[in-house]
Amino acid sequence: MSFEVIIGIEIHCELKTKTKMFSGAPVSFGNLPNTCVNEIDLGHPGTLPSLNKRAVELAITACELMNCEVDRLIRFDRKNYYYSDLPKGFQITQQFHPIGRGGYVDIEADGVSKRIGINRLHLEEDTAKQFHHGDVTWIDFNRAGTPLVEIVSEPDIRSGKEAAAFVEKMKSLLEFGDISDVKMEEGSLRCDVNISLRPYGFDGYGTKVEIKNLNSVNNVLRAVEAEIVRQTEIYLKGESVVQSTRRYDEVSRKTVLMRKKEGAVDYKYFPEPNIPPVLISDEFYNRVKSQLPKTASQRKESYVAELGLSDYDASILTSGLDLSNFFDAIVRFGAPAKATANWLISEVLSVSQLRSDKKFADWIKPEHMADLLIMVSEGKISGKQAKEVFADMILGEAPKDIVAKKGMSQVSDEGQLLVWVTEILNGNAQSIEDFKNGKDRALGFLVGQVMKLSKGKANPAMTSELLVKELSKR
Amino acid sequence: MFANRKIENIENEVMTAISVARKQQPLLNAMVSFMEADEAVEHAKSSSGKLAGLPIVLKDNVLTKGVRTTGSVSILDNYIGAYDATITTKLKDAGAVIIGKSALDGLGMGGTGTNCHTGFVHNPYDLSRMAGGSSAGSAALVASGAVSFAIGSDTGDSVRKPASFVGIVGVKPTYGRISRYGIIPYASSLDHVGYFTRSVEDAALALEVLAGRDDKDMTSSFRAVEDYLANLNGDLSGKTIGILGNVIDSIKNESTLKLFNDLVEKCKNVGATVKIVNMDPKRLQTCLPVYYIIANSEATANHSNLDGVRFGMQESGDTLEELMTNSRTKGFSFLLRKRFIIGSYSLADENQELLLRKAQKVRRLLVEDYKAALADVDVLIAPASGDVAPLLTDTSADQLSARYLIAENYMVLGNFSGYPSMTIPMGKINGLPMGINITAKPFEEQVMFDVAFGMENLTGCKNMTAEVMV
Repeated sequence: MSFEVIIGIEIHCELKTKTKMFSGAPVSFGNLPNTCVNEIDLGHPGTLPSLNKRAVELAITACELMNCEVDRLIRFDRKNYYYSDLPKGFQITQQFHPIGRGGYVDIEADGVSKRIGINRLHLEEDTAKQFHHGDVTWIDFNRAGTPLVEIVSEPDIRSGKEAAAFVEKMKSLLEFGDISDVKMEEGSLRCDVNISLRPYGFDGYGTKVEIKNLNSVNNVLRAVEAEIVRQTEIYLKGESVVQSTRRYDEVSRKTVLMRKKEGAVDYKYFPEPNIPPVLISDEFYNRVKSQLPKTASQRKESYVAELGLSDYDASILTSGLDLSNFFDAIVRFGAPAKATANWLISEVLSVSQLRSDKKFADWIKPEHMADLLIMVSEGKISGKQAKEVFADMILGEAPKDIVAKKGMSQVSDEGQLLVWVTEILNGNAQSIEDFKNGKDRALGFLVGQVMKLSKGKANPAMTSELLVKELSKR
Repeated sequence: MFANRKIENIENEVMTAISVARKQQPLLNAMVSFMEADEAVEHAKSSSGKLAGLPIVLKDNVLTKGVRTTGSVSILDNYIGAYDATITTKLKDAGAVIIGKSALDGLGMGGTGTNCHTGFVHNPYDLSRMAGGSSAGSAALVASGAVSFAIGSDTGDSVRKPASFVGIVGVKPTYGRISRYGIIPYASSLDHVGYFTRSVEDAALALEVLAGRDDKDMTSSFRAVEDYLANLNGDLSGKTIGILGNVIDSIKNESTLKLFNDLVEKCKNVGATVKIVNMDPKRLQTCLPVYYIIANSEATANHSNLDGVRFGMQESGDTLEELMTNSRTKGFSFLLRKRFIIGSYSLADENQELLLRKAQKVRRLLVEDYKAALADVDVLIAPASGDVAPLLTDTSADQLSARYLIAENYMVLGNFSGYPSMTIPMGKINGLPMGINITAKPFEEQVMFDVAFGMENLTGCKNMTAEVMV
C-alpha cells in the first residue's frame, strides 16, 4: 500500500439504565412503539430535564475502564437543530465539558499490541427512531431520551484490523463493565468510522470520509478495507477524495455515498440553563471507583491463574459477558473448572450458536450444568452418557432425574466389571494374542466390547485398568 | 383578602369571581379561556388546604392537564395541556379553584399586554391604558376585583411592572424557590414563577403554597419553605433600607418622585435607616441589551420544540423542512419571529463569543454590583416605573435614553441575580396607581415581605381595586 491510513472511531452506546437520561420514562427495546414515553421525551411545552444519576455512574465507570480523566463537575450543553426525530429541537449533550478526556485502551491486532488514545467520552440523549415507508415516515419516540455515551478515539488507528480490534475492545469493556448490552445489530452500540489517507511521512491529514451505521465488527473491518481501496484508487488516479458521509453496502462489499458534507453545520452550542452544574462528590466518585466490575482481561487472568485454565480456553470464556457469567455460576455450584470450560466450549457453545441465543442461563440452568459435570467427575456416569443427558437437559429437565429415569448410573463396582471383563476376554482370544504382541489398539477394542456388553454403564477408566490387569494374568 | 379568612360559601365565592370576570371580559380582554369549576368546587369543599375555595386565575403559560394552554401563540392555539405544572398541582392540592387562564404577551415576550394572540389587555383603572406585561391578564383580573390571587411569570419584570401599573402586589421570589416545571418558558435562566395579590399578607401566604423543592426542576431549591405569614412583622424600626440612587436620578416625573420621597420620609419616621446606594451607572445602562441577548438566545432554543410536528397547529408542506417552516412562520407573530432571529444570530458560532458569551459576562458583573449594593442594607427600593401605565397607543418611549434604559429596565437585575423582588402600590397619580419595588438578598423573602408589610401600613394602599364599569 502506498498511503498511511488514519482512522478515528466514534462510538455511541446506549446505557443500561432503567429510565431515560432526563426523564422518568422507562428505557426499552422491542416494546410497542410510543409506549415508553412521557411529556419530557416528546418535548411538550414547559417540560424540564432531570439528570439520571445511574447514567452518570455508568459514564464514570466507562471513564475509569478507558483510563479517562473524569471531570467531576458535570455540565451539559444544547446542540440545536430541527429534525423530526429530535422532539425539543435540541439535543442535550456535553459539548464543552465532556465527563471524560485523555484516556486510552490497549488493543491487539495481528498479534501486536497497540495503545489507542481516547479523546473524549461524554453523556447525551438519543433521538427518536424513524421508519420510512414510501412517502410516509413513522416515528417511534421510545428511543428518544435514552441515555448514551459517545466515545471518540484519537486518530491512532491504522488499519481495518486495528479498527475492528478497537471496536471489539470497546464492546468488551462496555459489556463487562455492565454499562451497555452492546448489541450492534439492535443499535445499542453504534459506530462511525472516520478515515483518511496520507503519504507516509506527511504530517497533515487527507480529506476525511465518515462511514456511518456499521452494524457489526466484521463490517467495520470490511468497510474500512473497502474504503482504503477506494481512496487509494482515487489518489493514484490523481483525483481528490470528496468529504462525505458513506455507508457500507454488504451486498457489493463497497462503501456507498450517503451525502456530501457541504461546510460545517452550526449547531449553536450553548450551556444548558435548566441543568445546573452538578459536582460529583468524593463519596459518590470513590464508591463508583471501588465497585468497578472486572474487565474481560481481568477475568481471563484469574481463570488462568486461579483456575488453571489454558490461555486459549480463558480467552473464549471471556469473549462475552453471558458466557463468562455462566461459567462462573457453574463453577460456583461446585463443578470442576477445567471440565466446565471444556464442556462449555465444545458442547454448550455449539448449541447456543444453533439457537443463536447467547443468554445461556435462560435455557440451561447453571446448577444443572454443575450437577452433570460433578456426576462425570465422580464417575457416576460416563462422558458419553453425559452428552446424552445434556441433550435432554436443553429441554429443561434436571440431569439427576434424566440419569435416574434412564437407569444410566455408571457401574464402578469391581465385581460386576470383572464379570463383564471375563466374559469378553473369554470370547476374544485373538485380541488377547494381539495385545500380547504389542498391538495397543486391541485394548481399545476390548474396552469397547465391555461397554457394549454393559450397555454403556461400565466405568471406562476402571474397565481399562481391569482389562490390563486380567490380560497380564493370561 | 384571603389570608386569615376562611371561605364559608365556596360556591358563592367562585361563582361571583367567574361572573365578574365574564362581565369584565369585553372591557379588559384579560381571559383566554374559562375553566369548568364544578369539580374543583366540590374538591375545595372537603379541602383543608391553605387556599380552600379560593378562585384563582393562571397565566396561560401554566400547563393544565386536559385544558387548553396556548402560551398566547397561534402555534399552540389548539394545544391541550398533556400534564399539570407542578404549581397547578400544588394550587389544586391547597384547595384553590382555577377559574381560567389569563392573557399574556406571546410566550411572555413583551412588557405591554399588547402582544397577546387574543388582542390587547386593558388597564382596569383606565381602559385606554396598558396593564403592562407580560402577565397582563392576571394583573388586570386581580386589580379589577375578579380574583384576589393570580399566577404570573417574570423573566424581565413581567409580574412586577404590571403590578405597578394596576396598583397591586406582584411577587417574584428567589430563582429556584418555586418550581418552573410546566411553565411554558421564555428564557430558562431568567424565568421565575411569580404571582399577584392585593395585600402583603396574601402574598406571604401564597408563597407558602407555591414554594418548595421539585425533583422535576433541577434548579429548584432544597431549602425549607418558611411560615411567611405567621412570621410577618411590619415593624420597620431597625431596618436598613437602601434606595437605588441611579433609578431616582433617571426619573423625571415629579409626581413619581414625590410619592416615593413621601413614603421614604414615613419609613424614617417609624425608625427605619435609609441610605442611598449607587451602582456603576454606565454598566447599569447595559441591562436592556444584556437581557435581550440572553433572553432571546435561550428563547430561540426553548421554542424549537414548537415545530408543528407532534402537537399544536400544523401547516402543510412538501418536505419536513417546509412543514416546519410554514408552521413556525404562521404560528408566531412578527415580533416573536424577530426575537428568535436575534437569539439565533447571538448564538451563531461566529457571533456567540461577542454576543451571548459577552452578555453572560456582563450579567455576572451586574450581579456582582447588585450584590455589593445589597451588602449593607436589608432591602433595595426604587419606584417600579418612572411613570404611570402608558396609553395603549403610546409608542413614543425613546428606547435609547438613559431614562428609559435605567428607570424602565433596572428590575431585570432581579432576574439576572435571581434575588427575591416584589412591587407594592405606593399611591396614585391622577387616579392611576404607581408601585414601589423592593428587592432582598437571596432567599430572604421574609425580610422582603416584612418591609413590604411595614410600607403597606404606611401607604394604606391595601386591597385596592379599580372600579370597572360593566
